[in-house]
Amino acid sequence: MTTKRKATKKSKAQRPRSARAAMSVATSENQVVKERVAAMAEVPLLVCESDKDLQKVLEVLRNQDEPIEVRLAALQSLQAASFSVIAFESCRGDYIATLRKVATDPNAEMRQRVLGILAREKDGFAIKKLLDGLKNPDKALVPPEKALQLLSYDIHAEAYPVARAIINKPPNEDAKREALRLLAADAKSAPVFEKLLRDKNETAEIRQVSAAALQALKPDSLQENARAILLDDSDYDEIRATSLTAVTQFGDEESVSKDETLKKHVSRMSTKGGAKVKRGARQFMSKYGK
Amino acid sequence: MDPNPTISSLSEAEFASLVSTIAADPARRNELTELLHEDHSIYDERGAATAVRMRGWLLHTLSQVGVSDEALVFILEELDTGTDPYLVAAAARAVRSYSKPSSALAPFVMRAISNIRYRDEPVSFDEYGEYVDDSSGTSPVRELLATLAWLGSNARVVLPDLESIKAQPHGLSKKRLVDLERTLEAIRGAGEETESCCELPRGLKDKFSWGLKSRRSCDPIESTVFEDQNNEAVTFGEFFCGQPSIAVFFYTRCDNPLKCSLTVTKLARIQNLLSERGLANQINTAAITYDPEFDMPERIRGYGQNRGVRLDSRNRMLRAQNGIESIRRHFKLGVNFIESLVNRHRVEVYILDAKGQIASVFERIHWNEQEVVDRAIEVLNETQQDASEAPEKPVANRKTSSPIFGALASVALAFFPKCPICWAAYLSFFGIAGLDRIPYSPWLQPMLATAMLINLASVWLRARATGRMIAFYLVSAGALIIIASKLGNGWEGLAMWGVGLTLTGSVLSALGVRRKRSVDVHA
Repeated sequence: MTTKRKATKKSKAQRPRSARAAMSVATSENQVVKERVAAMAEVPLLVCESDKDLQKVLEVLRNQDEPIEVRLAALQSLQAASFSVIAFESCRGDYIATLRKVATDPNAEMRQRVLGILAREKDGFAIKKLLDGLKNPDKALVPPEKALQLLSYDIHAEAYPVARAIINKPPNEDAKREALRLLAADAKSAPVFEKLLRDKNETAEIRQVSAAALQALKPDSLQENARAILLDDSDYDEIRATSLTAVTQFGDEESVSKDETLKKHVSRMSTKGGAKVKRGARQFMSKYGK
Repeated sequence: MDPNPTISSLSEAEFASLVSTIAADPARRNELTELLHEDHSIYDERGAATAVRMRGWLLHTLSQVGVSDEALVFILEELDTGTDPYLVAAAARAVRSYSKPSSALAPFVMRAISNIRYRDEPVSFDEYGEYVDDSSGTSPVRELLATLAWLGSNARVVLPDLESIKAQPHGLSKKRLVDLERTLEAIRGAGEETESCCELPRGLKDKFSWGLKSRRSCDPIESTVFEDQNNEAVTFGEFFCGQPSIAVFFYTRCDNPLKCSLTVTKLARIQNLLSERGLANQINTAAITYDPEFDMPERIRGYGQNRGVRLDSRNRMLRAQNGIESIRRHFKLGVNFIESLVNRHRVEVYILDAKGQIASVFERIHWNEQEVVDRAIEVLNETQQDASEAPEKPVANRKTSSPIFGALASVALAFFPKCPICWAAYLSFFGIAGLDRIPYSPWLQPMLATAMLINLASVWLRARATGRMIAFYLVSAGALIIIASKLGNGWEGLAMWGVGLTLTGSVLSALGVRRKRSVDVHA
């Protein structure tokens, strides 16, 4: 009899709780943080069922006195719910308004995640805040590299002039890299990328970003510059490997196959240089060697 | 375009203040509508989000001071193609200050509800550029429903659509369902509709599409070079002159699916309609990008192909090689930029006549493909009528005169005497005609050589236009032989062959053009 009672108790404990019960745990200040975070993961399907539930979760997100782990879990839960666009429609207005409110939260991680969601929605409020922060670092809600990354979600975000200013006077190397990534969609920036790609004083990463940008903006220029880099034995291995990939994958087959000077050079590279260069040279030769 | 150069440098706060000043003066209120033109310098070098704030504020101000027919055009455009919650909400509010509620407005409002209902975000018009971060504001769907309620009986035509939304499990949010109930009551309780539904009044319809009797010449852009989807260069004159065309504008980075993407998809439907009517060879189609610096040939090719556009020598996706500026000026395009990036544009379609002149315009709201095709056929008929009315002989003469003069120049060059003695011998032969008094003129030789080269170039152009290169090859061979005959001693005998080839090529070239014209006009 005792054994039977124990088994019943056990099965009750293991039985998954209802979404309603999870909602109750997730939004209760009396529960332990770990329990609440776990419960938040179970509520996305319920979050839009009633206005009362929605408001409770939004309140957790807004309330700066709540533990940050629970608030972040609430944000994640709302974000998951928002993927069901039609079902979430009734919650969308309050959700966006709350995100705007939380975008200036004292917690940096919260700000960054919220601004990320809003930026992907091309929200005018978020774009304005991010641009203001880049122009005036005292007002910045996120680091400049993050702001540039988020602004790149919307090509219409008027971020190009700011990004160019950052390239000229970068606050750090990451910000410069992100500014270049953002400008990779700006046709007017092709000369900047041409210059950086050929500049041996730049880091390999910056030069590789420049190569990728040129492929998008001015593919012919990338081919010209890649060829020049391959013919220059003093250039670095990483960028020569990138140039090999560019010429092998995107070069004009007819002109590359007739380019005996280039073929001779690359042929030598297949036995000299680093592993990446050798591999790239072998790929090139297998395509154009015969 | 605004003549005031300083207006483009106004800060947003200064812009808001300018709008208030204009709104306060009844005599200046039409300036608010002027500021809604996309190509107004006020939008130069502004980001898209800034342009949204500015236009939204203008629409909101119009909702306070009243909406004219001219302003209604911009409002209906926003309802028809807008996807920004702030702009759509502002447009919905503005409709309610139009003095002539009409059933023709209801479908626009309903379409806007369908377009924006999944982006029903909170917006506020309390202050310029304000973003709502609580539930105190209004929303586009709320404003649109209020506008339908304002239309009352004029919105009866959309009752089934509203009922359908109400019946859907996630049709609208609970808050909006309350607004919807209120709207339904207002429409049902407003009595019978008084007018027939739902054609726009003639005067208003003409603001979205019109034909041009007096047409501007395309001379300023005739030599503008485009690159097509296959990297082939073609000038405006080469592609757009000779037969009518339908041209739409787009750019691949447009993020409004109701504008560029739909425009290019509809261009594909237009091509199908033209094919069905056997007119695919008589009316060209083109999609021209606003963003030629980014829209490289492979991008525009993919964009067109993914939307079902047929691409060949008569149907092309085009990018202006040296930038969009000259095209923008000529067509007076409704577009503005921040650097090379579009910050705002309207939907626009042009029908060009056989001279490349703008004959008809459809803009702002979605055009009906059949109407565009019908209008293009009218333009085609004009062309055929002109061709049949025009005296045939002079046209033929004009077209054939050039190769004949060119060929004669080649003949003259071939037989041009080398020295004054030869000249005297030639002229003594013609002495009976009294020509022996003409002095020896060595300067004639380079002139004739130039004329021969001009002939060669014109034959090449004609050969390219007709696709028959044989004439060009013959004339080229002829020219080379004539030049050789002048260079080498004892090679004079070759000149006859050169003349023969030049004459044959020139005659073939002239005949080719005449045959092509005849096929085009009577096809």
